[in-house]
Amino acid sequence: MAKPKVGTYGLTGCAGDQLVIINCEDELLEIAGALDIKSFSMAASGGDEDCPLDIVFVEGTVVQPEDERVLRWLRERAELLVAIGTCAVWGGLPAMKNEMRPEELRMSVYGPEGNTFQCVSPRPLSSFVKVDLAIPGCPVEKEQLLQGVASLLHGDLPQLPTYAVCTDCKMAEYPCLLVEQGWLCLGPITEAGCKARCPGYGRPCIGCRGPVQDANIASEVQVLQEKGFTWLDIQNRLWTFAAPAESLKIDFLKEGANA
Amino acid sequence: MKMVILPKESLPEFIGHLCPFGELHVPVKVSEKSYAFGRVNDLSDIELNYTRTILPLKKYVFKPVDVMFNFCAATGYETTVEETDAKRVIFGVHPCDIHGLKILDLVFGGKYVDGYYSARRNKAAIVGMDCIPDEFCFCRSTGTDFVDTGFDLFLSDIGASYLVRVGTSLGDDMIRAADSLLREVQEQDRQAYKRRSTQRRESFQTEVQLQELPEIMDLEYDSEVWRRVGDKCLSCGTCSMVCPTCYCYAVFDELDLAGGSGRRQRRWDSCLFKDYALVAGGHNFRPDRDSRIKNRYFHKQRGFVSQHGRPSCVGCGRCKVYCLVGIDIVEVIKELRSEIRV
Repeated sequence: MAKPKVGTYGLTGCAGDQLVIINCEDELLEIAGALDIKSFSMAASGGDEDCPLDIVFVEGTVVQPEDERVLRWLRERAELLVAIGTCAVWGGLPAMKNEMRPEELRMSVYGPEGNTFQCVSPRPLSSFVKVDLAIPGCPVEKEQLLQGVASLLHGDLPQLPTYAVCTDCKMAEYPCLLVEQGWLCLGPITEAGCKARCPGYGRPCIGCRGPVQDANIASEVQVLQEKGFTWLDIQNRLWTFAAPAESLKIDFLKEGANA
Repeated sequence: MKMVILPKESLPEFIGHLCPFGELHVPVKVSEKSYAFGRVNDLSDIELNYTRTILPLKKYVFKPVDVMFNFCAATGYETTVEETDAKRVIFGVHPCDIHGLKILDLVFGGKYVDGYYSARRNKAAIVGMDCIPDEFCFCRSTGTDFVDTGFDLFLSDIGASYLVRVGTSLGDDMIRAADSLLREVQEQDRQAYKRRSTQRRESFQTEVQLQELPEIMDLEYDSEVWRRVGDKCLSCGTCSMVCPTCYCYAVFDELDLAGGSGRRQRRWDSCLFKDYALVAGGHNFRPDRDSRIKNRYFHKQRGFVSQHGRPSCVGCGRCKVYCLVGIDIVEVIKELRSEIRV
């Protein structure tokens, strides 16, 4: 079987997810042996930017009209599109102020000089094109990325966790930071896969992997309010990484907060 | 049953005599309020004044994540039960956790023996220790506040000494190894043991009636209680992970990049997860949180009774202590029985 042709591209983002691929040092030769890498500008210049691709890995968020154009072009070129990282999967940090109009936000950050570029409300890739596999994380976990690649090579999709960070946290037998310390921890509503890294270091989960499926946001908000956190504390934390997520939409949250 | 007396000042030396019987695991403090079983370099780090550890003993015999076998398209597969897994002596185990293991034995050691479980179970020596309940403990109601079996040795605190019960021939070997530290039971020990028994019984602050509960649960199948609890539940899985008797697991494959080989693994699962009852074709038998948490209670308090003649709950209180939204099993049962209304 011919090696699948792959490309790796970044839209607006920090390139941290692409860096994770390069940081797979022990596996790099295996990766290079299994894949025909056509374009990966972070690793090497001079890629083939025209050929059809079997798999394209895309990190970052659509923040400017140019991002959308690139995304649609990649979608047309590739058989499978894999969103890597929370920006691509959920909108990520660029979307944290989505309640403001983009022009207003641009003005507040860049002043009148910002007029030289266009911007839109940052949204995840899936709101523009079909995404075949979404691997969240800020950045993605190396193991999940490699398992994703391995599954795709076997003609399958990987089984990503469908449960919350709390599950991993308790499997590792870390003391509960919400129950014991009363800290603002998003472990109960955040998708697992990081092996509860932050609670393992004694820091609460900040939700960098986005909401877990079927997250009970209303109950989480209620318990945080009972612990003394203000509506603003909770909103800021919830919207840091995944503001465009349907489950985190403001009306729903306010309903939960008033319940 | 053979019983001997161990003076408290000899405990460190006694524990030293247990070390040749396996890798010693003891309760240790891991945060201001939490404890866990683990290894210590220094015997003074043992924390006997604990009520419950975060995880019960299942972590030793049924690991959170475990490799079941390696597979390779060219050479087939090989199982990976760790024959070399060290013998362990787990010291300071409370009665509820010993009962937890006995319930897992029914499940994993019953008609269909789970080799991964039994390989580790057979290598675990249990030295139990009695305890005074806190406000979360309801093991008296579940009949798991004392043990007759399931331990190699069991220590009861009778003041200046421990009364040591010998449960197995391995336990007998252990006390023989520590013979010089032990003495015979005397009159004052007998009286002290009886006083301890009364003191423990009178210390319980939480009681719940489990008699007739299976029928009441059937009668209250459509109770409002489930909707209320389902609204609160985060489906975070914490209660299942910390439960001594939650034994469900999910099986998955981890593949190698090169192709054709990998590892089949299993990982603790929970019936509270949305996709737990999702089947091929996309149907989900329990799509709502209400139905999932109801299922968890039904399995513990009703289904297990039908199958094994007792509930699988051991009253350790972990699910209440660690529930982030304060779902209280005792309260839920009392609501079902209409003893309280919330």
